[in-house]
Amino acid sequence: MKILRFAAVGVAAALTLTACGNGDDAAADPTEAGTPEAATIKLWLNGTDTPDALREYLTTTFESENPGSKLVIEEQDWNGLVPRLQTALGSADQTPDVVEIGNTQSPTFTYAGAFADITDMYDELGGDKLLPGFVAAGSADGSFYAAPYYSGARAVFYNKDAFAAAGVEVPTTLAEFTEVAKKLQTDTQSGFWFPGQDWYNGAAWIYTNGGDLAVQDGDTWKGALSSAESIKGLEEVQDLFATATNAPADSDSNEPWVPFNAGQSAMFSAPTWARWSIDLPQCNKAVDPDDTSDEAKALRGEQQACNEEHTGVFPLPGLEEGSYANGFAGGSNIAVAAKSKHPELAKSLLRIMFTEEFQNMLGANGLIPGNTEYAASMGDDVYAKAAVAAALNAKLTPAAEKWADVEGDRILEDFFQQLATGADVKEAAAETDQLLEDALN
Amino acid sequence: MAAMAPALQQDDPEVAFPRRRRRKLGVYGLLVPAAILMGVALGYPLVRQFVISFQEYGLRQQFGQPAEWVGLKNYTDLLTDPYVWTVIGRSIVFCLVNAAATMLIGVAFAVLMSRIGRASRITLQVSLLLAWGTPVLASMTVWQWLFDSQYGVINWVLANVFGLEDMAGHSWIIEPLSFYFVATVIVVWMSVPFVAFSVYAGLLQVPEETMEAAQLDGASARQRFWNITMPMVRPVLSIVLLLQVIWDFKVFTQIYVLQRAGAPTRETNLLGTLIYSYSDEFSLAGALATIMLVITLALTGFYIRQMLKEDEL
Repeated sequence: MKILRFAAVGVAAALTLTACGNGDDAAADPTEAGTPEAATIKLWLNGTDTPDALREYLTTTFESENPGSKLVIEEQDWNGLVPRLQTALGSADQTPDVVEIGNTQSPTFTYAGAFADITDMYDELGGDKLLPGFVAAGSADGSFYAAPYYSGARAVFYNKDAFAAAGVEVPTTLAEFTEVAKKLQTDTQSGFWFPGQDWYNGAAWIYTNGGDLAVQDGDTWKGALSSAESIKGLEEVQDLFATATNAPADSDSNEPWVPFNAGQSAMFSAPTWARWSIDLPQCNKAVDPDDTSDEAKALRGEQQACNEEHTGVFPLPGLEEGSYANGFAGGSNIAVAAKSKHPELAKSLLRIMFTEEFQNMLGANGLIPGNTEYAASMGDDVYAKAAVAAALNAKLTPAAEKWADVEGDRILEDFFQQLATGADVKEAAAETDQLLEDALN
Repeated sequence: MAAMAPALQQDDPEVAFPRRRRRKLGVYGLLVPAAILMGVALGYPLVRQFVISFQEYGLRQQFGQPAEWVGLKNYTDLLTDPYVWTVIGRSIVFCLVNAAATMLIGVAFAVLMSRIGRASRITLQVSLLLAWGTPVLASMTVWQWLFDSQYGVINWVLANVFGLEDMAGHSWIIEPLSFYFVATVIVVWMSVPFVAFSVYAGLLQVPEETMEAAQLDGASARQRFWNITMPMVRPVLSIVLLLQVIWDFKVFTQIYVLQRAGAPTRETNLLGTLIYSYSDEFSLAGALATIMLVITLALTGFYIRQMLKEDEL
């Protein structure tokens, strides 16, 4: 391992060196205004979040708008994305030209100078119609670097049969949500699937009560978990951990639909595209997912309809009736790499991504488009309504330069796990605030 | 080096001085390819790590800003942080416990192999080789599932076969001590085959005649083992122990994967994972890696000197 790590450091170092050399060359290259030279550019998309149809659309549109040029889309895994970007973006030979980056990871790279300044494109891409929190995450020192790509707001999925059996209704306030979850809780069924490291969902209780994870005070960041508002939210979180879930304290927010499908949980919270992962046993028609015959498609349609009949969805309610909680917004930004050798082509791709057509395609696939003007493309079924309601109230993690360190050190995973194992809320919050300050400043 | 000597002695007899010189040149010439390889693969990164550790080198520098020299700041920052010392302490204890456990079990297996019949020996050797040959990540996935709190076999067996109802849903990795227990089981499991085979090879070298002579002189099996076998395989033992200490000190993959399985990260970090967590502060990572190298040398320096001495004899 040591040799490997040395080798990795060596490769990284070598890349940096070559990058410096080549970077100068690229800068010296005069870029012709108007028609950039034909070339092949690389787009990195993360995970399977962007469906194939959209990828195809990008490739064909890009190639027809830029004759002779080619677009290669490479899929990256969300896991380990940050270190991979650190090495790749630093090298003019290795760098993708356009990159998708998680909204919470975005500030680290914008401050470091990894992305090209696209302030002049701000109005063209959508101006103040762009998702504001994501614009903040993609800006540094007054310049705009990474545009909002899509957002995936979280909504609560519930098993209608379990609700009927327990005689409860869809909650209308956050306090009622806890009550309902407690009533649904049995030895074998979690009221609400809430694993110990799931701070993505837990953040909603902090935000909704008016608290925050960290706040900026002049030039420094301060941990805000010990504020009275945050503590109130965290106490509710601990109550849920203790009395409304059987989820293990050593799990995270990955695949919460697994226990739901197995009947071990009556509610879970996830981005609304989780509807495609629901697979209740009473609806399963045992179709081979690779079978593309009409019969199989019909059966799959039936299966989906049955799943959705037994499953309901609602946006997490807020403090008062009729209001919504301020949940945590997941999603991505999209940026042009600073070291890209073909910035003009890269920008042309960015323009295609912000056309009405592509934005509507995002919406039709259940992703909230970066330009809010096209949110209507989400449709008006219950999922879309829940998603939009949740998204409009959603909040991001603090746009601090070093936020990626907080995630890298897994500070919040550790903190929520402490709550799940019964730690004293105030003590744990004070300790974690200190860790946040150490990491952010 | 000893292996080269006979080959060189076959040189045509010439005048004493040039021959000596040619021989020396030949020796150094043979060293060149290895030296180049080491220089490129190990030396350069090591030097670079060392240089970076005296600079302020983070993501901004990676993207083209000049790196400032900060002298010993990275080292003082690290060494005044009590958390870093806690992690160093943990790493040393973890390394010693693991190396000791691996050696004990490994030697026991080696002795077992030299005493049992052919069929059972081959079965044992094949199983050891399989454990040794399984890719780390693949076996980590299996171990992770075995110890999984919800669906793990271990909890299921404890709860349903041994009737320990409390163990259903028990989390093995949420408490640091129990986390290290699981990590130790996995690390030892993965390293025992190497020790067992090396020591077994050493045991085969113990001459039958010596043992027979000792037996005739009335030495008991225990006496023969401790007074003849052990001293004879001591060089093997010491080099294997040295390697174990080095490997267990810089353990990374097993700890990292277990942490990601849901353990509290800060309370279970060892040096490897702590360095990794400085992923965008290259200068801090470089400084801590250098500190780690110094500790490794301190832990093993005595053995290395001992071994070099024995080599000279």
